[in-house]
Amino acid sequence: MISGESTTAGEPVAVAGAVVARPRVRGRFSPVDWVRRGGLSAVAFALPMLVIFTAFSWYPITRLVVLSLQSTNLVDPPSWVGLQNFRDVWSDPLFMTAVKNTAYFALLALLFGYPIPLIAAVLISESRRFRGGYSALAYLPVVIPPVVGVMLWRYVFYEPSSVGLFNTVLGWFHMGPYGWLQSTGTAMPALVVESTWANAGTTVIIYLAALMSVDRDLYDAASVDGASLWRKVWHVTVPQIRGVLLVTFMLQIIGTAQVFLEPYLFTSGGPANATLTLLLLVYQYAFGNSIGVGFGQAAALSLMVAVFLAIFALVFLRLTRSWSTT
Amino acid sequence: MKSSFRAMTLLVVAAALFLVVGAASLANAGSQAKVTINVAALRPGSSAEAQKQFDDNVALFEKQHPNIAVKPVEYAWNGATFAAQLAAGRLPTVFTVPFTDARTLGEHRQVADITAGVKKWAYYKKFQKTIIAEATTSKGRIIGVPYAAYAQALHYNRQLFRQAGLDPNKPPTTWAQLRKYAKQISQRTGAAGYAQMGLNDNTAGWIATTVTYTLGGRMEQGRGANATATLNSRFTVQALNLLKQMRWTDKSMGSTFDYTWPTINQAFAAGKIGMFINGSDIYTFLVQAANLDPKIYGIAPLPLAKQKNAGVMGGGSIAVVRPDTKGAKLNAALQWIDFFYMEKLVKKAAALRDARILVANTQPVGVPAFPIFNKVQYDRANSWIKSYINVPIKQMNPFLKGIFKQNLYPEPAASTQSVYHALDPVVQAVFADKNANVSALLAQANDVAQKAIREGK
Amino acid sequence: MKSEERTGGLLSHNEWARRDLRWLFGSAQALLFVLLILIGLGPIVWLAKGAITPTIDTLRNPLALFPHGAAWSNLTEAWSQVHVGRYFWNTVVLAFGSWLCQIVVATTGAFVLSVLRPAWGKFIYWLLLGTLFVPAIVLVVPLYIEIVHPPLINHSFAESYWAIWLPAGASAFNVVLMKRFFDNLPRELFEAAEIDGAGPVRLFFSIVLPLSKPILGVVSVFAILAEWKNFLWPFLVLTNSPDRQPLSVRLPAIQPQTQIGVLLASMLIASLVPLIGFLVFQRTFLRGTGLGGALKG
Repeated sequence: MISGESTTAGEPVAVAGAVVARPRVRGRFSPVDWVRRGGLSAVAFALPMLVIFTAFSWYPITRLVVLSLQSTNLVDPPSWVGLQNFRDVWSDPLFMTAVKNTAYFALLALLFGYPIPLIAAVLISESRRFRGGYSALAYLPVVIPPVVGVMLWRYVFYEPSSVGLFNTVLGWFHMGPYGWLQSTGTAMPALVVESTWANAGTTVIIYLAALMSVDRDLYDAASVDGASLWRKVWHVTVPQIRGVLLVTFMLQIIGTAQVFLEPYLFTSGGPANATLTLLLLVYQYAFGNSIGVGFGQAAALSLMVAVFLAIFALVFLRLTRSWSTT
Repeated sequence: MKSSFRAMTLLVVAAALFLVVGAASLANAGSQAKVTINVAALRPGSSAEAQKQFDDNVALFEKQHPNIAVKPVEYAWNGATFAAQLAAGRLPTVFTVPFTDARTLGEHRQVADITAGVKKWAYYKKFQKTIIAEATTSKGRIIGVPYAAYAQALHYNRQLFRQAGLDPNKPPTTWAQLRKYAKQISQRTGAAGYAQMGLNDNTAGWIATTVTYTLGGRMEQGRGANATATLNSRFTVQALNLLKQMRWTDKSMGSTFDYTWPTINQAFAAGKIGMFINGSDIYTFLVQAANLDPKIYGIAPLPLAKQKNAGVMGGGSIAVVRPDTKGAKLNAALQWIDFFYMEKLVKKAAALRDARILVANTQPVGVPAFPIFNKVQYDRANSWIKSYINVPIKQMNPFLKGIFKQNLYPEPAASTQSVYHALDPVVQAVFADKNANVSALLAQANDVAQKAIREGK
Repeated sequence: MKSEERTGGLLSHNEWARRDLRWLFGSAQALLFVLLILIGLGPIVWLAKGAITPTIDTLRNPLALFPHGAAWSNLTEAWSQVHVGRYFWNTVVLAFGSWLCQIVVATTGAFVLSVLRPAWGKFIYWLLLGTLFVPAIVLVVPLYIEIVHPPLINHSFAESYWAIWLPAGASAFNVVLMKRFFDNLPRELFEAAEIDGAGPVRLFFSIVLPLSKPILGVVSVFAILAEWKNFLWPFLVLTNSPDRQPLSVRLPAIQPQTQIGVLLASMLIASLVPLIGFLVFQRTFLRGTGLGGALKG
């Protein structure tokens, strides 16, 4: 499956008159000419990409729309039900719960996981000799398989009895033991902490790369003008890396809106649906019953989430286009 | 252009090869003269001895039926992926489902109609009416063979009882006593005095329903899509308040609140739990997959309140056949069900043989079970294997003596899983929130359950 | 690791000379260092320690350091009882197949879009970019149904590794990344090769691919890591083939019946490949991540 990263890189500068493609002959289309111009080899080379994308990307996307309008149970042929699935999802009290929980997760993740990597990256960028070491340390949790990370935190760190690792530490100060994952108030923050631990490294590296590419002359000029440290940060650093900051913000929102693994493996959406997120609800619709009646609702909810995120991304990019650096 | 032509040929050949290899890997095994059936065997993770026991049975069956080949397949009922497995054709020919799900599956034609074959069996007429009803659809079609029935029971750790100063031969008979014992165990041994399933995979709701039954309550009135949900009756409120008190006031429930069927069994076998509720038939799992030390095992009937409808919820397992099984394969499947699941209940020779194989592989014989036919038959079957019984039958006396004095009731009939599903968050809220408003939560749950019942889900 | 004497440039020479700023930054960096060790390295080191600590000791006091000696038997038990080796191999096979599919799709696709540039190339490229806006995870339901009931083919791909290998190739990110790289290759090379009579196949294998080693490295490293970390899709596809599941799917399933020492050992084994791979290919990882994020408009 697609890894979690995506980019919205701008179109690269097109090279005028691409090398291998021959200039097109106006007039009737002749198959022989087409082959001679390399048309067939282009198709042949593109075949893996076209087949794979058609089968596993473009087709499922359109299928999703179709599924959301049908009632499917995998065994009997599907029947058309119009917008009924959407109505079912909309009127499900768990839907609002999932929306609220997902928004809560995204907000907490933003609070924890957005400024801290930036501060870390700034500090690392000013280190003369240990940048590589710091980068590696920051990135380490990212390479740990998420399942291992969640299991480690769930069965050791967050273990609710007094022999849990965190509870042991708290025990030294005569506090606790706490059931981090068992109380409706602390379950979601507990998930966010682990999720930030596991993913902040990527953000640190991205920020670092951006910071390192800021033109030093700008800083020198600002220093010559007598700017203090904070003014330099505000007037040089931030504008220069604004593009990266904005894109990371957007990608983080999009990523956290789809959180599934942590709620599923930590708490199965509990306790009492306190960690039920949108994608977990999709999963429950689809696989939460033995007669398979929920695929339509699962598709409808998936579509709603996808459309919402797409609109969010487009609006965001539009609004911030003027703020990005050139 | 020659090279480009060559290139084309190369690519076309490569593509063709790819397709051929792919198709070859997809092709089913070549046809055989025999009939082959896949049958559900043991849960993944079962011990080597348990697997050998199963294989011994398979060998015997194949000897008796040389034209049938049986392939055991690791299996555990998984409601979540059942539809997909079925659609994908990945279920064994013969597999098992709990009472809870059997009728729903039958109504949706997701298991085979085996009425004709079952009616030919000699013992068909002897099935207990309520038991065979669990495998009969509303249209009277038989879609499975009930082969095991159980009652919910209270399992307890005799060793922890002793350590806490309690008599292991005198398990609690009232809820007040249970509460007291739980407190004592947790205070004196540090283990959870009483634990209850709390995972939101419907097991939380299942046990909450069980406790409600013992207090005299029910989750539904009426039948089918016209049933009325009664989740928020005073009995359910009582059951959950009891839980709340043990959790927050007595603090006698330990620190894990997301147990489900296998995990609570495993925790119990590991000595972490003093008492808990589960089906009366879990001893086999405890021994086969959880490394239970038989010495610590005790089982008692559930404490019942002195209410009119107070009773014990029952359950069981049904052997079913994949809906696309026909002809010779269907016959073979029915023969396997007859051989593996039913014969030992009705034929002495089969019972002895089964017991012998179990004993040879150090598997439990004599686990408390429930009559599929009638009590007379049940007692007779037990007497056949008496000499092979290797479970600590004396430790099981409280249950064996007491259960037949209690009234057994079936699970809620309409949309059973949806009812449990609606109760899950209420149980979890009680575990997670000291100030959970039980009545309000149950009212909500009742609405959810009522909606599901009306929609036939 | 190059040790560069330069920094990001935020602090000027004069500012570094100032004692109070040096102290501020210095102590902030020291704090950062401690935190990074604690947070970045700490859990992993603990995992390694826990993997060879007897279960009883871990349960009694997780922070103690080998009060009763180490239990290397955890590792051997993980290998033999829990069969971690089998799941490890499954993960390797899955990662290899996914990697292969991704490389084939990305290189050939980018080659067409960047070098061959057919008339319909732009259209395809926009279709690809479009998929970047679709969150990958919402495709799970239709993809799953497609696997179970493929159109045209009357056979389910559930429980088959093909259902994991093939969809892995549908990564628009890979194609875009590789296309941008190819775009930056000097066109003169292509022209020269053409004059020498090379067709597209020669061009692909003898010129473009050899020059693409850096980007191939980046894509490969991320492809393998992504598959190693993958959970939801293999979980859905292989639910009923426990023997063929990868580590990430199997470990949570066996957790209830595995004592924690052995479980930790299994988790450590599951993390070895990504950890060692990271340490060896650090620069590729870090550079590739920077590539993905550092936009310069």
